[in-house]
Amino acid sequence: KGEGERNRWRETGLILLFYLVFYIFLGGMFVLTMYVMLLTLDDYKPTYQDRLVTPGMMIRPRGEAMEILYNTKDTESFDIYAQTLNNFLESYNNSLQVQNNDECPPDNYFIQEDSGEVRNNPKRSCQFNRSTLEECSGITDRTYGYQKGQPCVLIKLNRVIGMLPGKDGQSPYVTCGAKRYKVGQDEWKEDSDAIGELAYYPPNGTFNLMYFPYYGKKAQLNYSQPLVAVKFLNISLNTDVNVECKINSNTLKTGGERDKFAGRVSFKLRITSPKN
Amino acid sequence: MSSLLWFTRPEGERLERICQIKLNGTELQHKYIVALTVCQSLQDDHEITIEELEMRYTTSVTKGLTSSKAAEVLERDGPNELLPPKGTPEYVKFARQLAGGLQCLMWVAAVICFIAFGIEFSRGTLGCFDDLYLAITLITVVVVTGCFGYYQEFKSTNIIASFKNLVPQQALVIRDGQKNQINAMDLVVGDLVEIKGGDRVPADIRIIFAQGCKVDNSSLTGESEPQSKTPECTHENPLETKNIAFFSTTCLEGVATGTVINTGDRTIIGRIASLASGVGNEKTPIAIEIEHFVDIIAGLAIFFGFTFFVVAMFIGYAFLEAMIFFMAIVVAYVPEGLLATVTVCLSLTAKRLARKNCVVKNLEAVETLGSTSVICSDKTGTLTQNRMTVAHLWFDNVIHAADTTEDQSGQSFDQSSETWRSLARVAGLCNRAIFKPNQESLPIPRRIVVGDASETALLKFTELAIGNMMEYRERFKKVVEVPFNSTNKFQLSVHELEDPMDLRYLLVMKGAPERILERCSTILVRGQELPLDEQWREAFQTAYMDLGSLGERVLGFCHIYLNENEFPRGYKFDSDEMNFTTSGLCFAGLISMIDPPRATVPDAVMKCRTAGIRVVMVTGDHPITARAIAANVGIITEGSETVEDIATRKRIPVEQVNRRDARACVISGGQLKDMSSEELDEALRSHPEMVFARTSPQQKLIIVESCQRLGSIVAVTGDGVNDSPALKKADIGIAMGIAGSDAAKNAADMILLDDNFASIVTGVEQGRLIFDNLKKSIAYTLTKNIPELTPYLIYITVSVPLPLGCITILMIELATDIFPSVSLAYEKAESDIMHLKPRNPRKDRLVNESLAAYSYFQIGAIQSFAGFTDYFTAMAQEGWYPLLCVGLRSHWEDVHLQDLQDSYGQEWTYAQRLYQQYTCYTVFFISIEICQIADVLIRKTRRLSIFQQGFFRSVDVNCMEQMGQWWFVPIPYGILIFVYDEIRKLGVRRHPGSWWDQELYY
Repeated sequence: KGEGERNRWRETGLILLFYLVFYIFLGGMFVLTMYVMLLTLDDYKPTYQDRLVTPGMMIRPRGEAMEILYNTKDTESFDIYAQTLNNFLESYNNSLQVQNNDECPPDNYFIQEDSGEVRNNPKRSCQFNRSTLEECSGITDRTYGYQKGQPCVLIKLNRVIGMLPGKDGQSPYVTCGAKRYKVGQDEWKEDSDAIGELAYYPPNGTFNLMYFPYYGKKAQLNYSQPLVAVKFLNISLNTDVNVECKINSNTLKTGGERDKFAGRVSFKLRITSPKN
Repeated sequence: MSSLLWFTRPEGERLERICQIKLNGTELQHKYIVALTVCQSLQDDHEITIEELEMRYTTSVTKGLTSSKAAEVLERDGPNELLPPKGTPEYVKFARQLAGGLQCLMWVAAVICFIAFGIEFSRGTLGCFDDLYLAITLITVVVVTGCFGYYQEFKSTNIIASFKNLVPQQALVIRDGQKNQINAMDLVVGDLVEIKGGDRVPADIRIIFAQGCKVDNSSLTGESEPQSKTPECTHENPLETKNIAFFSTTCLEGVATGTVINTGDRTIIGRIASLASGVGNEKTPIAIEIEHFVDIIAGLAIFFGFTFFVVAMFIGYAFLEAMIFFMAIVVAYVPEGLLATVTVCLSLTAKRLARKNCVVKNLEAVETLGSTSVICSDKTGTLTQNRMTVAHLWFDNVIHAADTTEDQSGQSFDQSSETWRSLARVAGLCNRAIFKPNQESLPIPRRIVVGDASETALLKFTELAIGNMMEYRERFKKVVEVPFNSTNKFQLSVHELEDPMDLRYLLVMKGAPERILERCSTILVRGQELPLDEQWREAFQTAYMDLGSLGERVLGFCHIYLNENEFPRGYKFDSDEMNFTTSGLCFAGLISMIDPPRATVPDAVMKCRTAGIRVVMVTGDHPITARAIAANVGIITEGSETVEDIATRKRIPVEQVNRRDARACVISGGQLKDMSSEELDEALRSHPEMVFARTSPQQKLIIVESCQRLGSIVAVTGDGVNDSPALKKADIGIAMGIAGSDAAKNAADMILLDDNFASIVTGVEQGRLIFDNLKKSIAYTLTKNIPELTPYLIYITVSVPLPLGCITILMIELATDIFPSVSLAYEKAESDIMHLKPRNPRKDRLVNESLAAYSYFQIGAIQSFAGFTDYFTAMAQEGWYPLLCVGLRSHWEDVHLQDLQDSYGQEWTYAQRLYQQYTCYTVFFISIEICQIADVLIRKTRRLSIFQQGFFRSVDVNCMEQMGQWWFVPIPYGILIFVYDEIRKLGVRRHPGSWWDQELYY
């Protein structure tokens, strides 16, 4: 009886040992293939970028679910947006920019090719000074116009390595407008009356070509992503305003129906302001 | 079990008596043949006088019923036909298709999916509709395969139905004193009917008048010995008495008139047919296997689900979320494609079998046949040709062998002897059998003859040897004849000679050889009449013994030219008085007949033997004949002795022989009756070669039960109505397509269209093959369960973006993987499967632990690694390094996060990420497919190297459109699977019985 018991234990042991060896081998093989795979990758540029043909766009502050809702009388309600923008723009402070980045000739790509195997690293970046955002820089108005009911929204174009967003010296620019949205079966609405006048900073809402192409975070450590600020000058209060901003470029196409955030961005603004 | 049954008479007489029914001398011991039934249906109609009978049925034995009365009774009793046994209603049959083990698993999974959908939908989770789709798909799969299985069975039922005799039977009935030919269906109790040789008895009939009437009761009792019918009540037992003829038996010769006493389902045969449904249907081995398999699956699913539920809770998921994980894992474990695979494999085999003359009524029976370890076979018609054929002749003191092959194409004997011509003339003339007209175009052996079996054999034999017998008999005009009777044991006729100038009469006689010899004084040798001295008598005796020991039925033939003066033309011969010479005849020779074995049977029996299947012969025939045929076809092998043989050889009494020394054993029904079940078990255990002779169909049931007690899976062949209980009791009942009664076909699981034993062997081979191939198919199908499950597990635990979606899994399960797994069903046998022992149903499971472990934890694991390698490669190439992916899930799935950074600092919108996720699904899918290609290759064999088996015989992997480099990443893993399995098989082959073999051979 003891013999059988011992045999069973021995067998169980053997099985466990077998599986241990088996999985160690498999794990080893997995690690090895992963290692070989990583070796084949370029450190500076992904092998494929086919998903990123049209770069996405994003806003700051992005709020909860792309909604900016606040009350002009309630400081706390917009303070978080101001705080977000402050944090976000910190790296764009003129002092930092001047210290780290170059001043580049505008309206031209800032191309820094590698010469063959010799890497031209680290790559330089162009200055994007916070002051270029003027009214929306937060320097003059600490609340970015939120208190006055003239909020600023920063728009950024997603970084894509090697992307050239314009040709013939034409910088892409952002335009915002009321968003067409569905309210019922085949019923569309846009809040074009409510949106009011807009101001763009830098002027015309351009992403200057000198900030492109992007060389990736490893090569271009201090890259400053260009921004466009949109200021809603007399937006209707106490109502939902659906806004859509999109990129205008002679090389980039706006994404199709599939991706609502490729080359465009939409968000909702609702500014509550008690009459008294 | 007691053979004594108490019963009450239906008339309320409360006549209790012990009814011990005897059927042709063999007791019906079995519970299924309830004495009550028989006695109820026959009452005492055979005992009462004609007058009482007329009274009871208000009929007349001369004029029959009046038409109005007949119509009235028909109204009351319904038509005279056996109602088909109340078949299972169609919707129940269909429901049964939806309620198998696997189906139940899938139903449960579908319900879980609905619950998960409900929870997720109410929480507004994205992608919750996947659950709904999955649930719908699961239900669709069950229903579609259900329809498929149902259709298959429906089709085979139709094949069977087409065998029913569609030509309505006619009966000659006397009503209002006039003879009418009516449909047998319209017969009623009290009708007066006439039957003659060749007719089927149209109802249970009390004989009023008979002349030389003999019936073949084989459809009722399985015994083919003709029974004579006379108007006298000879036995109190209705089954024994001579004045009752039973429905569905055949009148072989003579004429009879009788009153119908039972019609339709109230006839004996109707009663017995309806009793068959009393025997429960056993679960098929494959159903048991599948249940066992479902247990394994369910166990693993719940184990995994629970483990990950705990892990998820531990990681910090909410309870509800963890619950959904649990359900998803359980559902993921359900092999959606397996049901379809199993159904398709089985029906393909059923189709293949149908082409080889085996129609399978129940798909699962295909596999049952493969696990068969004992075949209880009928003799007549299954092992033999069911046709008495002349086997040997003895004349000129030499035994000549006649050709007994089925097509009668073999070499015949030397026919130049003068004696042969005389013998053939006697055999041809002293013969009342005739061909049915209009059969000239048919080959002689297949023509239909009216007459008993031996006369038929002689007619066909002489027809073959001499030529047109009908015309031959015309030339020898018959003057008088004396039919065979059991006291005389001979038959004679007197003929004019063909030469009109020769005015002598020729008397020809045939009969039991010893009786014939008694009447002879001379013997014909090479055309010369020699005196029949002691020497010749001894020669005769030797020949007679020789032929008898071959199990053949021997007849003696003699003739004499009657003296012209004594019996001039016009002499009044009187068949009753026999006012002519009947002794001092001239002996012509002996002819012996046998129902010869089918040509293919010895080979098939041999195959069974090598396949470890016992063939037990169960027959109603005489033990000597049974034994001879058994020896002939190899059921009793050369050199095997019975206890009696040993006793004779050693010259010791039978009791002193060690029973274990005897390989063979012949048990007759009489002996069987006195044996207890333990004794029968012991006999079956100790004698590998068994023949049961003179058994009733009921005893067949006892034999089947005994075999089953010994752990065998028993196949039983049968054709008679009385075989139905045995057919039902058997693990697989095989009915005969040609000779089988409808009741037998209804009770059987399989039908042999050609009644040939060899077809069973083909069936066994196919059944074994399908078991092996199903194993491969299941192993193949199961393997991918793991690479389908692990993405989800990793998704939960490591929080990577989901590598494989639910719809993709369904795509693999139900689209791309069905064809390879079905193609495995076409795999040829790995070794000679007919050289292996039948599988032990308790040990050799369809899905055993080592199959599951090997598929899940080894090959499945490799496939998972392949999938993840490919997945991480695809992610990394797009900019998401493996380490970044870990823990990325919540960000990745955030719908409002439109600028998630990858490893290169690029920013992705949600839609772009989702698109990438779909790419990952594809990539994972491709990996699984690539590995499954390797898998289908390795699954072609379980033991042999794939190089021994040959590569691309059946693989039909439909290559999808080339999709980039991701096809190449999993290839090393595919190769690994292949190499690993070759190593496994090498180990298994090199070291049988070792630890490696035990753990890794499935």
